[in-house]
Amino acid sequence: MKNFKKNIALLSALALAGTMLAGCGGDTTTTDSGNAGGETTTKAADAAADTTAAADTGAAADDGAAADDGAAAAGGYEAAKTAGTGALTLPEGEGKVFNIYCWNEDFKNYVEKFYTAPAGVEFKWTVVPNEGGAYQTALDEALLNQESAAADDKVDLFLAEADYIIKYANTDLTQDVTKLGVENWGVGYDYTYNAATSTDGVLKGVSWQANPSMFIYRRSIAKDVLGTDDPDEVQAALSTWDKVDEVAQKAADKGYVMFASPLETYRTFANNSNVSYLNGDKFAPTEAFNNWVAQAEKYVENGWSKTYGLWADEKQALMGKDGNMMCCIGPAWYFNFCMGTAQEQTSGDWGICVGPQEHFWGGTWLLAATGSDNNAVIADLMNAFTANEDIMEKILTDAKEFPNNTNVVNKYASDDSYGLEFLGGQNHIKMMAECAKNITWDPALHTQYDQTFNETLPNSILEYLQGVCDKDTAMNNFYISLSEVAPQITHD
Amino acid sequence: MRKSKIKSISYAKWGYIFILPFFLVYAVFSLYPMLTTFYYSFFENYNQGLTTVGPNFVGLNNYINLFKPNEGVFELLVYTKNTMIMWLLGAVPQFVFSLLLAVIFTSVRLKIKGQRFFKTVIYMPNLIMAAAYSMLFYVMFSEVGPVGMLCKTLISEDFVVFQSVGASRGVIAFINFLMWFGNTTIMLMAGIMGIDQSLFEAASIDGASGTQVFFKITLPLLSPIFVYVAITSLIGGLQMYDVPQIIGGTDGVPNRSTRTLIMWLNNVVTGKAKDYGKGGAISVLIFIITGVLSFIVYKNMVKEDKTLKASRRRKKNDLL
Repeated sequence: MKNFKKNIALLSALALAGTMLAGCGGDTTTTDSGNAGGETTTKAADAAADTTAAADTGAAADDGAAADDGAAAAGGYEAAKTAGTGALTLPEGEGKVFNIYCWNEDFKNYVEKFYTAPAGVEFKWTVVPNEGGAYQTALDEALLNQESAAADDKVDLFLAEADYIIKYANTDLTQDVTKLGVENWGVGYDYTYNAATSTDGVLKGVSWQANPSMFIYRRSIAKDVLGTDDPDEVQAALSTWDKVDEVAQKAADKGYVMFASPLETYRTFANNSNVSYLNGDKFAPTEAFNNWVAQAEKYVENGWSKTYGLWADEKQALMGKDGNMMCCIGPAWYFNFCMGTAQEQTSGDWGICVGPQEHFWGGTWLLAATGSDNNAVIADLMNAFTANEDIMEKILTDAKEFPNNTNVVNKYASDDSYGLEFLGGQNHIKMMAECAKNITWDPALHTQYDQTFNETLPNSILEYLQGVCDKDTAMNNFYISLSEVAPQITHD
Repeated sequence: MRKSKIKSISYAKWGYIFILPFFLVYAVFSLYPMLTTFYYSFFENYNQGLTTVGPNFVGLNNYINLFKPNEGVFELLVYTKNTMIMWLLGAVPQFVFSLLLAVIFTSVRLKIKGQRFFKTVIYMPNLIMAAAYSMLFYVMFSEVGPVGMLCKTLISEDFVVFQSVGASRGVIAFINFLMWFGNTTIMLMAGIMGIDQSLFEAASIDGASGTQVFFKITLPLLSPIFVYVAITSLIGGLQMYDVPQIIGGTDGVPNRSTRTLIMWLNNVVTGKAKDYGKGGAISVLIFIITGVLSFIVYKNMVKEDKTLKASRRRKKNDLL
């Protein structure tokens, strides 16, 4: 009897332990669907590889749309300019529901405010936040199940960022947009088109913005440290890294910090690297990365930089009224949307200049999903957000982004009366246009794991800079993270 | 013959019918997924970008790999250690504190008024979502938060709570402590109130001191409930996820010291590689670890005093 009771108690304990696996069980259910997805992919890949017939059918399906799009292509830029005015009549057989996957409301707002959709099309937005990779997880699942999805549920268009655009552009899950009547019209920045081109040279999408990343400095602090807040004079003082170091020392002497985070300059270095982190399946730290680490060590050691994260709340506090941060680095989307505290408290007290090295950071692309039943709308939308100069002008004036259309950019760059209130009336377009011209995108330098390299790697090093662990441990922590992202990648 | 048949009429089947829904739900939503977890742990199945590798049968490879160091780090051991440390930091003070509260609240001598009120108040933290609670603490203890700034003044200018291994784990353990001590107190109170009052009366007539009553009567008779509380707390501790995930982030900063087993599992399964084989193997191992630890706790804590057995048997129904 006594053993029986004990056993019963033990059993109930184990049953409790068992229920704990319920959560893990949930994962298994995902495994199932994951498998199914996996099989579908293989099938899709087979179909694409084995029979060109599949591609032909696709092309045939496009032909209906091509009648109209062909006209756009024939008319070139002049015809593309009229996209997004609602003039497009839907070709026969086009779907009525246009599905867009994105991670925030930005593009949705632009479409709703600036774009006139062709009559009879309903836009359906699937917004999945970026946090924890949720967006890509949801998107991957949808794309891999594209073939079996109902016509109105198929993904038509989706958004992707610079750090992982290759992951999608290099697969058959995205389609050649030149077949739909979208081209590099020669008015945008070439790097944005190169970024959306697969390694075999097929254009898969476009972007409405270019993102030259600038030195953003606090005018009042610059006046105190350098005696001037004029963008050209500040630029002269920050034109090389050695000069930046000098300014950082001067700022520190007066109780300021140059940067809030040692990660601030990471993109500048990484973006100017002439080698990739990845050689085949082998990872190696680049020279640019090592240079960045050396600089970061110096800045932290000398008190020129705080050791906050790039997106830390602490950094926001330093941009406020009582903040003592002199500079941060970022493109138009950064100073217009990510400097919340500054927008509230210190608006007008900021200026931008190029800094020691030109580079770009981020960017959002529109990619066309294979299997879409709305090819005409895809073309219309893409042309509207690159070639339609009315819309692109609103992107500049209303949305305060840097548009991917030089006609619009040049108009404002030469307009001295134009300026941004947040930047103390500075005409930022003029300075950014100079910078944007020089941005390049070399496909050999980018991989589908860029996000891990550009976010996880510097964040691991940040722990070393904070003094939490030594450099080898920090690198090792990164390698463990990398093994979770891409188990096949090796390193020395 | 017929008589005996009539005698054996039983309503037991109704009992079975009534408990059937539970077993059905359990089988579909817990048992089946659990078995498939075992099954898939023997396969290689992960993503490389958008292409899926597998599922290919690889036997015990996923398990063997777990016992091999990854980048020189024995991950399984490290994360198990992290989890257990954070559980112990929270659970031990929680048991002591809850026991104290339970004894005070149930004491016939003290007769504390407003028990209901206190019970509600101490249970309150448990009603708040763990994630919200953690966010609150994260903000308070961050470098520019009130407590974080206080720490800077009191300890050292360079002290940052979430850059210190001990402090980060301490904050996580403290949150878990605050969230669960009310629950434990109420369980222990139920246990103490289930003890025969006549035993306490007899003890006081015999002139036993408060300490003697506590150690000779309350504690031994409370042991079954205590075992239950300890085992559930241990299982909860092993599954610790939400609080450290918010405080330490996916990587469990600082230096992966706040990464728990479930955070690891979550990252392996839902991360970019979606390594279901490895995830399955981790799940099975956690299952085994949980089973073994529960067994140890159970064996150690059930040391029944034989002389009290009789009274315990009488109390059996109350306790269950």
